[in-house]
Amino acid sequence: MSKIIKCTILDLSTLLRVTYTGITVNQIRSAHNVRPPRIKYPLWHLQRERAKDDQQLTEDNRAFVKEAVHDKFGMPAVIHGISTYEVRSPLKEDSVERKNVEWHPKLKRTGLIARKLGNYPMWSDNGKSMLATLFQVIDNHVIKYIPPGEFDPPRKPYSCPKHKKELGCLLVGAESADPQYYTKQYCGLFYREGMMPKKILGRFLISPEAALQPGTPLLASHFRPGDFIDIRGKTIDRGFQGVMKRHGFHGLPATHGVTKSHRRGGNIGHGGEKGRVFPGTKMPGHMGNRYRIHKGAEILRINHKYNVIWVKGVASPGETNSIVYLHDTILPLRKHKITPPFPTSKEVEDDQLIDSYKEHMYKFTDPTITFEEEK
Amino acid sequence: MLLRSLKLHIIQCGFAPVVLQVSRTCSNMPLSDTHQSPDNAVSGKQVKSERKLVVPSNSRFIYPEFLPDPKMEWRNSLREKLERLDMIQRRKHIDIPEFYVGSILAVTSSNQHAPNKATRFVGICIQRLGCGLRANITLRNVIKHVGTEIKYQLYDPTIQKIEVLRLEKRLDDELLYLRDAPNEYSTFDENMEAEYLPEGTPVPVNTTLVKLKPRPWRARWERKNMKGLADLELEERFYKRAEELATPWEKYDLMKQYRRTIPEEEQKEIFAEVCSELHEVEVMRKKLKRKKVFVKPTRSS
Repeated sequence: MSKIIKCTILDLSTLLRVTYTGITVNQIRSAHNVRPPRIKYPLWHLQRERAKDDQQLTEDNRAFVKEAVHDKFGMPAVIHGISTYEVRSPLKEDSVERKNVEWHPKLKRTGLIARKLGNYPMWSDNGKSMLATLFQVIDNHVIKYIPPGEFDPPRKPYSCPKHKKELGCLLVGAESADPQYYTKQYCGLFYREGMMPKKILGRFLISPEAALQPGTPLLASHFRPGDFIDIRGKTIDRGFQGVMKRHGFHGLPATHGVTKSHRRGGNIGHGGEKGRVFPGTKMPGHMGNRYRIHKGAEILRINHKYNVIWVKGVASPGETNSIVYLHDTILPLRKHKITPPFPTSKEVEDDQLIDSYKEHMYKFTDPTITFEEEK
Repeated sequence: MLLRSLKLHIIQCGFAPVVLQVSRTCSNMPLSDTHQSPDNAVSGKQVKSERKLVVPSNSRFIYPEFLPDPKMEWRNSLREKLERLDMIQRRKHIDIPEFYVGSILAVTSSNQHAPNKATRFVGICIQRLGCGLRANITLRNVIKHVGTEIKYQLYDPTIQKIEVLRLEKRLDDELLYLRDAPNEYSTFDENMEAEYLPEGTPVPVNTTLVKLKPRPWRARWERKNMKGLADLELEERFYKRAEELATPWEKYDLMKQYRRTIPEEEQKEIFAEVCSELHEVEVMRKKLKRKKVFVKPTRSS
């Protein structure tokens, strides 16, 4: 009896197999709750730093590798006060064709990557003092231009979907570095354009007319004294802060029976029908370490030797020595009135032109300010 | 080992609270050479080439504002360099002489609202703060029985002239207690004539002890460990509390000292960079001064 049963079971299974192979159902196993990632990172977001390993090279081999790097990319040199490598510039060569497009206010130029150096006072020629913040444009080069059709930004704006379809993307790198210290795929980004890897890689959305050849150096003279710029940077990380420091509340009284709540925010919500805390209520929390833009800052002075820009005010985000991005301002009343260097400025080898000031600024080479008596 | 090297730093470069033995001889040594042989061009050149290496050891007292703020978060070598270049450019147009807290200065500055479009203020320097282009001094005087203080930015382009009427030091680095002292301690004649010290004499130290008015004061001076104050005549409890709050161990905190000062090597680097230009400016000033002295007799006629 048991044998029979066994047989039937076996037969059944074989029978079933036959039937299954006849139908050929291909299983697609997937969890219905897994969605594709929302943010598609751009092509240039690659692993940058290489794992450190001692290659156990001899002194000679080390020197040879260094030499090979210099042969391939360029000799080390100090350009505009920054130790970097000599890079060929297509703007210097005549072979590169440049589009002759007239600038008009709707065109968007590229921006610059700069380092914040700190601040010190400047004076206007009527003796009024003002604090200025210094930014150094650090060895900027164009790495790549991606035209509008190909450029697919990771986060698309909901408000105006047309907006970014008209704009291309310009990759700009700052501060050349030795390729030995970076991964192969990161170096490949630059090698395709014949450049050394850069420590900092930034992206600027530009109109296709303002596109630049890879390898073009970007200088402080891209802007002029008197222009207004937007400065984007990461604010100083202040950690978890109370309401007085974070939002400028006044706190509660120091005396008159107040205990243990001198720096508290006080009431945060309603009772009764609402019975909840409204979203966005100002409360203690993490302060700083987020990107902020200082809009409409005025350029007072530019040093062409060290590529330094003096900007009026001390409100620009970031610590000293932090990286910031400088753009043409988006404030409508402070946009360029005269044609700016378009698409960017050319390198001028003029030893005489070191500093250029905004008009009505006191130049440190000028004599003492004196006022004349009115008659 | 580290501690030992740090200790050396501090002994050499730390700003001692009161430095009594700074003589002007060192700073004027190279200058006096030029006086002796101004005509002999060949020897002058030789001396010049040698001098570039020699940085006067007391530069940090004469030009304290050339040393940057030692706070690490705010430091950037390029900014400091650009600042120094601007300072030297400004110094070519205005003579900022050697002076100390306690010296009596006269500052002439352009003023749009003054009758002659310039004002001159005489007073005692009670505070010297800031580095780089932000360097500033506070002058104090009593004018028409009202204590008056003016804060001047040293590199402000509206300043026309800074004269040292009496070059001397006091026992303290800050004389803010003069605000709580009777008026006679900070009263100086506006028409005071400059007192010249002979070349090479050390800067004299004025050891007057200031007798304060009775409390209330602007600060608890018994806690500040001031050397230029006479007996404060307070109750015992004040001194007791001051002793409780005192931090006498801080002078042994080497790291604190190290962070508060610029290391000697860096100071040397900075002064070596600006030394030659500063020296040129100083020589120019001396020449102008001599010219002025020469012009003086014509005034009497």
